[in-house]
Amino acid sequence: MTTEEAAVDDDGGRKHHLVHFDRHTPDYRDRFEDITHELHGQCPIAWTEAHGGHWVASGNREVFELARSAEFLSNDHDVKGERRGYKGISIPPPPRAREAQGGFLEMDPPDQRHYRQTLNPYLSPAAIQRWVPFVDEVVRASIDEKIESGYIDFVDDLANIVPAVLTLAMMGIPLEHWTIYNEPAHASVYTPPNSPDIQRVLDLSRKMGMDLMAQLAEIRKNPRPGLVDALVRADINGRNPDDGELLGVCALLIGGGFDTTTALTAHSLEWLSQHPEERTRLSRERKTLLDSATEEFLRFYTPAPGDGRTITADCEIAGTQFKEGERLWLSWAMANRDPSVFPDPDRIDMERKGNRHSSFGLGIHRCIGSNVARTVFKRMVTAVLDRMPDYECDPEGAVHYETIGVIQGMRHLPATFTPGKRLGAGLDETLAELQKLCDEQRLAEPVTVRKSTARIDT
Amino acid sequence: MKVRVDPERCQGHTLCAMRAPDTFELSEIDGHSSVVAEEVPADQEADVREAVLSCPERAISLIS
Ligand code: HEM
Ligand code: SF4
Repeated sequence: MTTEEAAVDDDGGRKHHLVHFDRHTPDYRDRFEDITHELHGQCPIAWTEAHGGHWVASGNREVFELARSAEFLSNDHDVKGERRGYKGISIPPPPRAREAQGGFLEMDPPDQRHYRQTLNPYLSPAAIQRWVPFVDEVVRASIDEKIESGYIDFVDDLANIVPAVLTLAMMGIPLEHWTIYNEPAHASVYTPPNSPDIQRVLDLSRKMGMDLMAQLAEIRKNPRPGLVDALVRADINGRNPDDGELLGVCALLIGGGFDTTTALTAHSLEWLSQHPEERTRLSRERKTLLDSATEEFLRFYTPAPGDGRTITADCEIAGTQFKEGERLWLSWAMANRDPSVFPDPDRIDMERKGNRHSSFGLGIHRCIGSNVARTVFKRMVTAVLDRMPDYECDPEGAVHYETIGVIQGMRHLPATFTPGKRLGAGLDETLAELQKLCDEQRLAEPVTVRKSTARIDT
Repeated sequence: MKVRVDPERCQGHTLCAMRAPDTFELSEIDGHSSVVAEEVPADQEADVREAVLSCPERAISLIS
């Protein structure tokens, strides 16, 4: 990226900083820190011609002000051209043939707010707390599959499994279906459209969509507690959404939760392997350190690096004039490295105070799954610290996503450790057992109906 | 020192309750924050200041 000398005038006489900025190139991943500080220093709100032209907000104050200006921003993805034709939160938008509304993340209020009100009682901190024993069982079984061998791939064997199983449990979808959802949820993010593998990934995504449609129909007919049940019964601003719309919402819950949580966990475990003294300290002082360390890993790695918006009216925000219809990229990742808010921003400080990061977004679309993500992350990391305290990641085998335009993720993170003893049944058997508990204890009811924690007797 | 949470701004990030669990209470249903008591006891002041700095929506204000 280069910043062009002075500000330029456009036809309307507005001044703005023109930059060459393309998040979808490997260069952006490799030089992320340099590019970020160059933008902060010269143009915290810049214009780039990439992908049809769009604004890029990178400064912390600018991202904050913009993200909270709901009256001038739209997330709407108007696939059928019924409203203003806005293109949702991806820049560039997906190819026409594969365009679909990304659930309520690509809607504006009031509908978006109605969806959130419907789902909140399943996802609030109190609601998620009830699932902790369930999460611990899935973590235990995943680790037991590998503990005797002294070898694990933290992505494939742990960090992919736990978020997937918990999300399905909360939705009310049979746990054993997790494999139908797992592969496409990750592969559709890291497989570029020109890859020879793309057809296989599209086929898997289609299978996942078919399973979701079948679940929607089944739960409509025979109600079973969970997020899907809440959706099929939902009153969204006076209407009952059809299965097509709900498919997008279910895909958002899955897409929003799988790859991001995996990415956070893998990066953190990799960093802890590279900093063994810090790992020992985190394990020893987890009571006081785990919360702040989690927020710091979230800040530093920002698994969802940013999201797009469309400007809904001519306006001035944070000192820049915007025109209706212009596209805007809010970079959560770059806002998280602004030295005016985070001293020494490119360093991980597990004790960091006042960590006002934007990794879950800001404003009305702020992540509804953050309590799920934090809980699952913390339970996975503590189990690893307890059961394989001397693990060492193999740098040769670690595979990062080639570009970080959509998710800053990892495909593989192999590690070795001193083998230990199994504590219980393997994964398949454990999932069958947990399925029974889900059904008997109706674990997926909202917190307004069931207050008690999952009971697991082993 | 007094503390308030602006319900229009709060989006339920929960960071305030992580920093100052005795001062902020989270709704069971949507995770949004409210204060247990407006008046902050002296021994909680430091934690509450920390919470103010941690709230990503800048929804918490102090009145001294
Ligand atoms: C570390 C893990 C996660 C990260 C970094 C993350 C990040 C984000 C971000 C940045 C947004 C805001 C997007 C925007 O404003 O354009 C968001 C929204 C959302 N996330 Fe997450 N997320 C994570 C985990 C989850 C989980 C586990 C779930 C599901 C249970 C989930 C479901 C959602 C949904 C449904 C939205 C849309 C909210 C709305 O539009 O009102 N996320 N997430
Ligand atoms: S940190 Fe801020 S936004 Fe989050 S719950 Fe507390 S007051 Fe609300």
